[in-house]
Formats: sequence, C-alpha cells, structure tokens
Amino acid sequence: MISQVENPVLEIHDLTVSYDQNPVLWNVDLSLPSGKLVGILGPNGAGKSTLIKSIMGLIPPTSGYVRIFDKPLNDVRARISYVPQRESVDWNFPASVLDVVMMGTYGKLGLFRRPGKKEKNLAMQCLEQVGMTGFVERQISELSGGQQQRVFIARALAQQADLYLMDEPFAGVDMATETAIFQLLKEMADSGKTVLVVHHDIHSAMNFFDWVIMLNLHLVASGPKELVITEDLLRKTYGGKLNLLTKVTDLIRNKDFNPLKS
Amino acid sequence: MTFDSNAFLIIFTGALIAISCGFLGVFMMLRKMSMTGDAISHAVLPGIVIGFFVSGSQRSLEVIMGAGLLGILATLMIEGLRKKAKVQLDASIGITFTLLFAIGIILINLFAYKVDLDQECVLYGEIAYLPIDLWITKSGLTMGPRITWLAGLNFLFVSGFIYLLFKELILTSFDESFSSVIGINAKGINLALMSMVSYTTVSSFESVGAILVVALLVVPPATAFLWTKSLIPLLKLTSVLGILIAILGYYLAYWLDSSIAGMMVTVAGVFFFVSALIKGKRPSWLQGTYKAAKPFGI
Repeated sequence: MISQVENPVLEIHDLTVSYDQNPVLWNVDLSLPSGKLVGILGPNGAGKSTLIKSIMGLIPPTSGYVRIFDKPLNDVRARISYVPQRESVDWNFPASVLDVVMMGTYGKLGLFRRPGKKEKNLAMQCLEQVGMTGFVERQISELSGGQQQRVFIARALAQQADLYLMDEPFAGVDMATETAIFQLLKEMADSGKTVLVVHHDIHSAMNFFDWVIMLNLHLVASGPKELVITEDLLRKTYGGKLNLLTKVTDLIRNKDFNPLKS
Repeated sequence: MTFDSNAFLIIFTGALIAISCGFLGVFMMLRKMSMTGDAISHAVLPGIVIGFFVSGSQRSLEVIMGAGLLGILATLMIEGLRKKAKVQLDASIGITFTLLFAIGIILINLFAYKVDLDQECVLYGEIAYLPIDLWITKSGLTMGPRITWLAGLNFLFVSGFIYLLFKELILTSFDESFSSVIGINAKGINLALMSMVSYTTVSSFESVGAILVVALLVVPPATAFLWTKSLIPLLKLTSVLGILIAILGYYLAYWLDSSIAGMMVTVAGVFFFVSALIKGKRPSWLQGTYKAAKPFGI
C-alpha cells in the first residue's frame, strides 16, 4: 500500500542503503505531500533512523536518490531541519539552553558571522513555543530528558525550515510533554511545514499523524493514516511480535476503550 | 627583588605558549580528542626532519609546513583507521603516532650527518636558553628573543582562528551531524583545528618540547572544566591557569635549579589534583557520556 503524490515535498527513489555491504534498507520508493505530520513506524532495527539520516545525506546511499522540494539536497539545506536522537550528543557540554537554541540560526548566518540581537530574539520565541522560557540561562547538563528534547526541538524551530526530520523525539518523554509536543508539531504542519517523525508507539501514532510510513527493511506502506493502519499491514511491519499489540489495537478500535480511564 | 628581564621574558613566553595550547585544548577536550593532540605532537617529527633536510635550517618555514602536513596526515590516518578499518579510537591513535614518530627517528639517524637535531631537543626543549637566542635582523638590529616572537605570533594566530570560527567550532564539537545537516563542513573545521594544533606544537617545540606541549593541551582545560560549565569562563579560566602555571613553574624551577618546562607541567598537574579534590566529584572525562534509559520498543 504505497500512495504516491503529485508535486511531492520529498521524493525518495529506489533508495538502498548499506552498512559494510549489508543492506539495511531495500528499494525504498515513496513521495510525501506538503503540510503533513508524517510518522515513520517500524520495529527496532527496521532502518527508521537510517532512512532519515540518508534523506539528509549523513549516510550515503548505495543506490537511488532523494529529491527535496524537487531539488537535490545541497541546494535546499537551509530549508531542512533535523532533531537528532537525544543520546547522540554529550549533555555535559558547557553550553546554556539559549546557546544550543541559537545553534539553529548558525546555518543561515554563514561563515565568520556572529549571531546578534535578531538571532537571540528568534531563539527566545522558539523557546517560548516549546514552553522553556524559564530555562534560558540553565546549563544543558542540568536538564531532564524531556527538557533536553524540547531544547532540541526549539533549536530546529530556530532554523525556520520547511521540512523537519525528527529522530525519536518522544523517547523517554512523559505523556504530558508528548501531547504538548505533538500539539506543536500539528500546528507546524497546519502552517504548511512538513514534519517527519520517527516513532514507535502505534497508539499515539494513530491519534496524531496524518500520514504514516511503515518500514521493516523494505517499505511496507506509505499513505494517509486511515488507509495504512490496518491489521494486515501492521502485521507485515511488526511480524509475529504484533500478537499482543493487535489485540490491544482491536480493543481500542472496537470499543473506544481507554485503559487509563477504566 | 629587582626586575629581572630574563625571568620576565621566560614567564611571558611560557604563558603565551600555555594560553595558545589551552585555547586549542579546550576544543580538543570538548571533542573528546585530547589524546589526538598527543598523537599529533609526536607524529609531526618526520615532517620536522624533512623540512629541516630540505631547508637546512631548524627555524625555516619548511619545517613548520612539514610539521603541519604531517599533523593533518596523522589526523586523517586516525580517522581512516577508525572509520574504514573499524579500529578503536585509542588503538588507532596508538598505531598512528608511534609509527610516524618511529619514521621520524629513522629519518634523523639517516640524515644524522647533515642534521643538527636530536631527539632530546624535540622531546624536552629548553625554555631557559631563550634570552640568549636572539632575533637579529639583517641590518644588525636586535629584536629580542626569537622564541618569544614565535610564541607571540602563534598566540595571535590561535586567538584569531578561535575568534573567527567560534560558532563553527562550538557547533561541530557539540553536535557534528546537526552541523553537517545545516551545511557547516564539520570535517573541514576539524582539519583546520588539527592544523592549528600541529602548528602550535611545532612552534612550541624548542621551548617546551613535545611531551610538555601535550600536558599544556590537556591539563589546564581539564582543570578549568572542573570549575565551570560554561564556555567563555572555561576559556578565561584556562588562560588564567596558563599564566599562573608559567609564573609558579619558573620560580619553583629557579628555586630547585631544575627544568622550567618540567616544573610548569608539574604545577599544572598539582592544580588539577587539588581542583579534583576540592570539587569532590569524579572529573567529567571519567564519567563518560550520559545515557538515558530507553523504553522497550515493541
């Protein structure tokens, strides 16, 4: 079940990616519409992170190509933003919350130029959007996991991009923060930005995403949520591991059952 | 005590070298590459010998260029071994610098009849001879100690480099993949930093020697990092430590009639251990990277 679209924001053509001769992504071929909140789902080791890293050119593909806004990556870098996995950096780094968010503005500044008042105001706005204005001067080593994640999202916002790629922004984040961040991402999508999120919780995926990509080394599905989240496709993506999960999904679907309320 | 111009010159030069090394060392430490500095300081030896052989002089531009090229080569070799051959970082550092250093020693022996350069001079250096090694222009004008000029020039280059590339250095140290995504050339910045380290190493060789350059690259930044968690104070504290180390190192060496460079590093080491004791926690380079527990995926 792969829906292709006209005038895609992101077009991935026959992409194969390998680490040391071992392919970890096979023949991924998809296109995405603009202004959507897109979820990438799949089990651990399915190649979700690899997919977004190769979209951004961090991992060179073995074959195939990626076009963004109908242009090659290097022409549109300023319009793409990235939220890496939280554990990918050392949070003992001597920087404040504001310092990290300002990093989002460095790309547009160019070589040798320093961020000034304009960049600082922008960073403050972005911190406000993620509800972190109280932590501007805080050292990043003193933040909790959810706060670190929000700082990373604010940094991506400060880039003022049109396409956002986020790698597991909800890992280790509590429910309240998760909902708040999803709300923010929805607003971004509504204002015409495309947000691509690697995610592994199927339940919240059903609630929040407009478009879902299912991945398990191969591309299993890519399309509007209503068409894609079916038991058949979920089983194809998650294999035998889904047994328990499908039961829960069915329960939720059929009875509007909320385990937190009963 | 009357003003002793020799003492002042030695302390001034020592402080300039300690600050230059400290500035670069802060960024090496933040990149977890402190030992790459060690590797570079040894790996430049063949470059120095070849530069010396080509120009016939120990203080020529060729020597600095040779050393710079070897420093870059060492960086590329370390990265190449790690990424392409999947060798651990520490092992690839060990392999690279011992190999290049050994080649340097063989070259010294081969050219021994032509080259007035011995391992001791390269390894230990002697800052105490500084006041008698003067820079005299062609017209016979005495400009003062040559090594002080070298250290001053080096300090200007290092400060300029860090000032101009400040935001790039921070970003590539903190989050390399993000910097690549927004189009900042992380590899290029890294190589530029390594070239500066090579250049600083060579320019400080004659005064403090290769081993002690490493200490100045690593110890003052690590000490300062025990006291502060923000970058600008970290750089400032590192330079204050550099100046203190130069002053105390000189007078203790004078008092004990011992090696000035050796004493400077001993003072740096004492500063570090006292700081570690006072701060009463494990130094950050022992803690490793903080890893958050991930929820189990399905």
